[in-house]
Amino acid sequence: MSRRGRLACARGLVFALLMGLAACGGGGGSSSSGGNTTPPVVTTINNVQPVVVDSGPSLNGQPIGANDELFTTVTICVPGTSTCQSIDHVLVDTGSSGLRLLSGNIALTLPFVTDTTNNPIGNCVQFADTSYQWGPLVKVDVKLAGEVASSVPIQIAGAPNFAAVPTSCSAGGIPAQTLLQLGANGILGVGLFRQDCGPACASSSPPAIYFSCSATGCTPTSVALTGQLQNPVWMFPQDNNGLAIILPQVGPTGAVSVSGSMIFGIGTQSNNGLGSAQAQAADNTGNFTTTFNGVPYTTSYIDSGSSGFFILDSTTTGLPNCASSSDAAGFYCPTSPASFTAITSGRNPNGSGTTVSANIAFSIANGVSLIDSPNTAFNNLGGPAFDKVFDWGLPFFFGRTVFIGIESQTSAAGTGPYWAY
Amino acid sequence: MLGGSAESVVNDQLKFQAKRTVVETQEYTLHVISLEDGTLIREYVTPGGKVFGVSWSGPTIPDLPQLLGSYNAEFQNAVHVKNGHRRAAGVHDSDLVVESSGRMRAFYGRAYLNSMLPSGVGQEIVK
Repeated sequence: MSRRGRLACARGLVFALLMGLAACGGGGGSSSSGGNTTPPVVTTINNVQPVVVDSGPSLNGQPIGANDELFTTVTICVPGTSTCQSIDHVLVDTGSSGLRLLSGNIALTLPFVTDTTNNPIGNCVQFADTSYQWGPLVKVDVKLAGEVASSVPIQIAGAPNFAAVPTSCSAGGIPAQTLLQLGANGILGVGLFRQDCGPACASSSPPAIYFSCSATGCTPTSVALTGQLQNPVWMFPQDNNGLAIILPQVGPTGAVSVSGSMIFGIGTQSNNGLGSAQAQAADNTGNFTTTFNGVPYTTSYIDSGSSGFFILDSTTTGLPNCASSSDAAGFYCPTSPASFTAITSGRNPNGSGTTVSANIAFSIANGVSLIDSPNTAFNNLGGPAFDKVFDWGLPFFFGRTVFIGIESQTSAAGTGPYWAY
Repeated sequence: MLGGSAESVVNDQLKFQAKRTVVETQEYTLHVISLEDGTLIREYVTPGGKVFGVSWSGPTIPDLPQLLGSYNAEFQNAVHVKNGHRRAAGVHDSDLVVESSGRMRAFYGRAYLNSMLPSGVGQEIVK
């Protein structure tokens, strides 16, 4: 099913490239309902978006050299129009929600979103390594496969015609808003939540995430949930209760590149049923519990935006860190691959009160050998985080169908936020 | 503020416009600062009145220049040379340790100074 979708999609892409505009699945028009069987009320829409793990976007004619990064092509349009552009190599990130695009790639004229005093709204995202993205909020129609999310607030990172980054956003860190800095043309957050920030940014004493920017500067401002960066998937008119990411398995030395699918909706069409997948709820911060060597770690999450398993530390795992002078600094470097089993667990999101667990076998190989190879897709690349942190990064996704149940949205599995695999 | 005086904790509370509760133990004093957005900051103060450790957890990263003071620059310098893993970064020097991890809605971090740990207090206290 997904294979057929990909082929159809690939044809669409070629056509779109020839036409010099939007991508896979074609713009807007709902496709035929297909076949003689009478479908339910819902019109069948192409819900299969191609994704790829490869060496990344090109900079000065050379691929930037990505490893274990999942990319897709996103089409954005001036709201309500057919004035669109497609942007390739946007990072698919299940660890965040909302679309962030680098200003350097934006060809459309997109008006700033303003607050009640007519000041444009700036958005800041800070990462745990203190890098940040800063830029105005704008609204676009987001097209993925045949799905359209209308008038979605997104961030344009590094916009030159906008207020300078507030010091409470940069906080001494470095920007991640050029291709060289980010290693991607943007971030498509398709995580467990409807918004990037959520209730914290709607509080009366808001953090340094959303800013009201006047001529005299930018100050943190409270933004209602509907005004925040939105996970586009939950804004689709259909297929909006979640998504699945499907990547084929790769061998122990990885693969040069891998093609897969992101399928929208859970149990909404014939190609996105849960099948044998077991659902586990995440908590209201997106975490669940992973038990490793008998110890439960509650700061555990699944994150396609992490280019490796980032788990615990060298002492806890017994894995040596790669030399800080090596190409693989920040990864683990065992002399031979080390095999592990961990248990993920969470409440059944169907409200039954039971706990659902899954045994996950994985291995971690020598980071230098992997990174220095010509391959870019690895199921065994890993590195240290800190004691207590268990980050199931992109390697988790190879050879699996991973469902992401969006908060407050329901499917046969129950109510999000949940994972199912 | 890491390495600062006990008064710097009050200054942080004012800066963050937050509530603060104080827990006295035999070895140190713990100040818990609760921000309205749900972020919790903990500051650990020696009997001599020095902040030997801080930690944070919550939906966003608090103002680290405020919380880490002069040590923020050392942290920044250390993290900017590592691989591009955005969801965890740290520095582990002989004295300064900073660990920052997580993502929007679920950030965690801690920092401490080995040289300032009160006698009988291990670094695992700072959490």
